Amino acid sequence: MAAITEPVPTHPDQINDDILRVLEPPTPMYVLMVLFLATLVGIGLVAFLYQTYWGLGVTGLTHPVMWGVYITTFVFWVGIAHAGTLISAILFLFRARWRNAVNRGAEAMTVFAVLIAAMFPLIHIGRVYKFYFMVPYPNQRGVWPNFKSPLVWDLFAINTYMISSILFFYVGLIPDLAAARDRVRDWRRYLYRALSLGWRGSSEQWRHWTRTVLHLSGLCTPLVLSVHSVVSWDFATSMVPGWHTTIFAPYFVAGAIFSGIAMVITVLVPVRRAFHLEGYLRREHFDNMGKLILLTSSVVGYAYGMEYFMAWYSANPYEQMSFWWRGFGYHWTSTWIMISCNVISPLPLWIKWCRTNVAWMWVTSIFINIGMWFERYVIIMTGLSHEYDPAAWGYYVPSLTELTILVASFGLFLTMFTIFLRLAPVIAIQEVKELWYEAQAPHGGHH
Amino acid sequence: MAQVLGVLKSPHELASAILDLKGAGFKDLEVYSPVANHEIEAALDRPPSIIRLLTLIGCLTGVSFAYFMQIWVAYDWPLVIGGKPFASIVSDTIIGFELNILLGVTLTVLGLLFFGLFLTRKGHEAYQPGFSGDSFGCLVACHGDQVGRAQEVLRRAGSQEVRVVEG
Repeated sequence: MAAITEPVPTHPDQINDDILRVLEPPTPMYVLMVLFLATLVGIGLVAFLYQTYWGLGVTGLTHPVMWGVYITTFVFWVGIAHAGTLISAILFLFRARWRNAVNRGAEAMTVFAVLIAAMFPLIHIGRVYKFYFMVPYPNQRGVWPNFKSPLVWDLFAINTYMISSILFFYVGLIPDLAAARDRVRDWRRYLYRALSLGWRGSSEQWRHWTRTVLHLSGLCTPLVLSVHSVVSWDFATSMVPGWHTTIFAPYFVAGAIFSGIAMVITVLVPVRRAFHLEGYLRREHFDNMGKLILLTSSVVGYAYGMEYFMAWYSANPYEQMSFWWRGFGYHWTSTWIMISCNVISPLPLWIKWCRTNVAWMWVTSIFINIGMWFERYVIIMTGLSHEYDPAAWGYYVPSLTELTILVASFGLFLTMFTIFLRLAPVIAIQEVKELWYEAQAPHGGHH
Repeated sequence: MAQVLGVLKSPHELASAILDLKGAGFKDLEVYSPVANHEIEAALDRPPSIIRLLTLIGCLTGVSFAYFMQIWVAYDWPLVIGGKPFASIVSDTIIGFELNILLGVTLTVLGLLFFGLFLTRKGHEAYQPGFSGDSFGCLVACHGDQVGRAQEVLRRAGSQEVRVVEG
């Protein structure tokens, strides 16, 4: 077992000092980084305006592949958004106390990822100003959306998840915003005063707050499982070979948690290093996240294998052809990138040394992010390009506009996260402190 | 009524102070803590938050509204598919579930804002910034002739600072 050598906070006030130090005025390097990321977003915005002006003809979408990079990226960001709720809600209910150090960063990531995900269906429809056709509101002819359509289910699921994640995130932040209000002395004091809503840490406030957090966890736990299930039904309720399968819901949920945890690692490792938070984001946290990655990677790997097995065992020639095409057709590279990154790259994490080696975990997490984007790309693109009728088979190559908007979505995610770092505590102060006091308690720290 | 504030250094000390004050007959207590703590909660022994009721109301309203909306729309603009009823309870369950969660979450948070923050926004003259850092406060409301007794109990419980709060 690797020795854990990071320094432990010696006093609860040190926890406030260490975490609130991240909020100090930004360095020139930080400003440059935000400018660079904002430039990516700006370029993406230009590409989006270009597409809105000229129409979807500027994308690579054409018959039979009418879902491409945008829907792939939508599913990818929805998946990324799952880690925050897993860590905050599910691990909270399981009383996994190690989550306290990483939950805030994961929740912030969830909020930003789901906001970005919600943009992609709008980008994908081309005429973005027609998005209200999806909203449960009768149009000019009195026709309502079809509530039996999985795409309408998706609208409800994503919006419910977005609103719930934002509220869950904000409720968790309130005590820490009050701590920041009591600490900072510049203009932000007024911001934190307004945002902390008069929080004083009184027993009445804690009584309602703890109950709220418990209930939100209880409600968000089934929600997180439902959201990616509903996303998977966008595919599974269709007749497309490779999509029409009952394994999709658990397969998508496991994949979402897998990619979400990987993104938490990708984002938090540089934060840990840049802001000297080694005493809080400790190697045992990476060890635990590594175990979650191993679990979900195994589920995802099993699902990959099972898809091929079912295609063979079904004796359905369309299904068999689709999977043959997936592994050995034009897009075989995407499939093998997916398998290498999602199934093979996490294998060294069975060794504890790899799980507790932060650099190793970071590199693995990047491979997983790449692999999980390709997983969605493979499912969507190979399924649509090779359906039943060989005369209707086709091919898809993403255009520069689509790829620019894809890159800009990463720019937007990182811009939002980087700005968040300077505005709110990236580690939940009161929850870390709660653990500190429990460890000091005379009866050994458990209730 | 006078108010006496004791400042303590740990949740364990605060919980002991609460029990001692209750034992001495002081009932009107308010505490300030930088963390949520079960020991303090148990010592105060307050009834469960009303928020659980609001969550239930939100969830039931959400699920009922979702089914009502979908069934009403199905009959308002029928999509005729041979042999099938217009309303499909099974597929309606998905949106029913989502609105159940959405309204449950929304009402829970509104409950926190109203009961936990709006109704408790006043009367915190005793609050000091240390209560979001490393200090715990125990505020006792008592009659003027009991101030000395309250101060004594708080000091004995380990308070580092004991003072009478004005206002």
